[in-house]
Amino acid sequence: MQPLINGIVAGLGIALLAIAFQMVNLPARVFYIGLAGIYALAPYLYVAMQPIGAPWFVIVLVVACLTAALSAAFEAASHGPLQRSGASAGAHLIASLGMFVVVVQVIALVWGDQPRVLRTAPLGSFPFMGAIVTSSQLVILAAGCVVVGIFVTAMRMSRLALRLRALAENTLLLALFGYNISTVRLAAFAVAGFVAAVASLLAAYDKGFDPHTGINALLLAVVAVIVGGRMSFWGPILGGLIVGTVRHQVAWHFSAKWQDAATLALLAAFLLLRPEGVIGHRTRLEASAA
Amino acid sequence: MNYAIQLLLYFEIYLIVALSLNLLVGYLGLLSLAHAVFYGIGAYGYALLSIRLGLGFGLALLGAMALAALASLTISLCALRLKGDFFVLGSLAVQVIFFSIVQNWYDGTSAVGTWTNLTNGPFGVAGVPKPEVFSVPFVDPLAFLGLSTAVCGLAMLAVWRFTSGDWGRMLVAIRDDDLAARGLGKNVRLARVQVIAIAAALAAVAGSIYAAQVGFVDPSSASIDESILMLSMVLLGGSGNFRGPVVGAITLMALPEILRFLAFPDAQAANIRLAIYGFALILIVHFRPQGLAGNYRLS
Repeated sequence: MQPLINGIVAGLGIALLAIAFQMVNLPARVFYIGLAGIYALAPYLYVAMQPIGAPWFVIVLVVACLTAALSAAFEAASHGPLQRSGASAGAHLIASLGMFVVVVQVIALVWGDQPRVLRTAPLGSFPFMGAIVTSSQLVILAAGCVVVGIFVTAMRMSRLALRLRALAENTLLLALFGYNISTVRLAAFAVAGFVAAVASLLAAYDKGFDPHTGINALLLAVVAVIVGGRMSFWGPILGGLIVGTVRHQVAWHFSAKWQDAATLALLAAFLLLRPEGVIGHRTRLEASAA
Repeated sequence: MNYAIQLLLYFEIYLIVALSLNLLVGYLGLLSLAHAVFYGIGAYGYALLSIRLGLGFGLALLGAMALAALASLTISLCALRLKGDFFVLGSLAVQVIFFSIVQNWYDGTSAVGTWTNLTNGPFGVAGVPKPEVFSVPFVDPLAFLGLSTAVCGLAMLAVWRFTSGDWGRMLVAIRDDDLAARGLGKNVRLARVQVIAIAAALAAVAGSIYAAQVGFVDPSSASIDESILMLSMVLLGGSGNFRGPVVGAITLMALPEILRFLAFPDAQAANIRLAIYGFALILIVHFRPQGLAGNYRLS
């Protein structure tokens, strides 16, 4: 029971970042490595704002809005112009990699490389069905469920979600209907930045943070996207839960040091055997190329 | 004098790395984030073969190259099954798995290089002997530079031969339109596997020189940061020809030295250098997709 609970909680954290990644990857077709920089930056912004003395939820909201603005700035300054000039996916990826490197190095220059923690008090723990649940796990579980719930509701009911889905399906047709593609893309990047900040702050509260946490977290998120189904907005949620569960089963039955290798082995298995993911379905070659 | 020798040695190491990665980026169009894996296999392979088996420079070097070529099959598998972003992700997966193995293959109760403690984990492998060729020791820095220059020259010659002839033109054809190349009867899959194996073996040569020169190998030489740095070098210098990687290697060498003369503290200089690389990547993609001296446009 313990590895299952740990896995589900960790999986929710992975799922949040995976949702953020997919929010850009699916409609804008950008492999958004820069999101790892935003993920790394959020806890540092939180720490920088703590001396103001505002309540924690206000600081969280401000940090999430700042990271959303930064993410939108990435789109406005780099990915947008590249998209308009017809750049390849590789060009987007390298630009995004460049942004990630710059953000991480600026963090290291300003705040240093040392690992830190957001938590000030020791963790409480509670027995639950023969397992132990910590207070930080409860926070992640509650916040994760709320964010996933809002995401699912918004994806079903909001106009922005409809446009994002349309953008993912057929960019040209959406433009022909008179919608401003640039605005929709900008919104996708902003939402990704917002959700990534929430995911990052939750992870920082539970496990701590340093400037290099972003790339490992993003890697897990991308694995979750592929495992869940890369052509779906819902796949990352399922994928995150699967990845989290597998990682904690490996840690429980073997050793925590093999978690990353097991995760990437899971990725390799899906890429080679079921590239469409758990909830994706195979399409004809010409359909997937279109 | 020693400073200049060290600079030249590192330039040669980076030059071999850049030329080898250029085979993947510039001639196959594959953006690999796992090149440090082969560099690391070269460094660890050379170190362990010379320490545990007592092999001489030549045999240890060949052994390290063979190990890297064998390990390159993981990237080949990715290249055969995945394209674009997903190949990058596959290579990143190989990078993370390898780093995890190197970092964790450790057992404090066993000797370094044994089956239970192959890499000595985060503590690395120390005591790599200085090379000896035909009973001539290369202990003196100048003599070692001579040996390194000879090896680098051979590597450059090999890359030149591979890329300037029919085979090189076939690779360019595969990069530009693999379907058309296949239609013309070219064995695209075999060519990809061959190029990746050659690039991995060359990166292992650079890793071996590094291990022989420093005398110590640790997991940082096979980290994701190294892979990003290597890719930046090729993208900045340019890919798809011979001079692009040379320019990339010179840039990579020059930047830390310029920062040193600007008197930045060592701890900050590394961050500033990486930040400049990141910024340069963004500028290159926007304003000069073929790099400073390359002829293959990324976009």
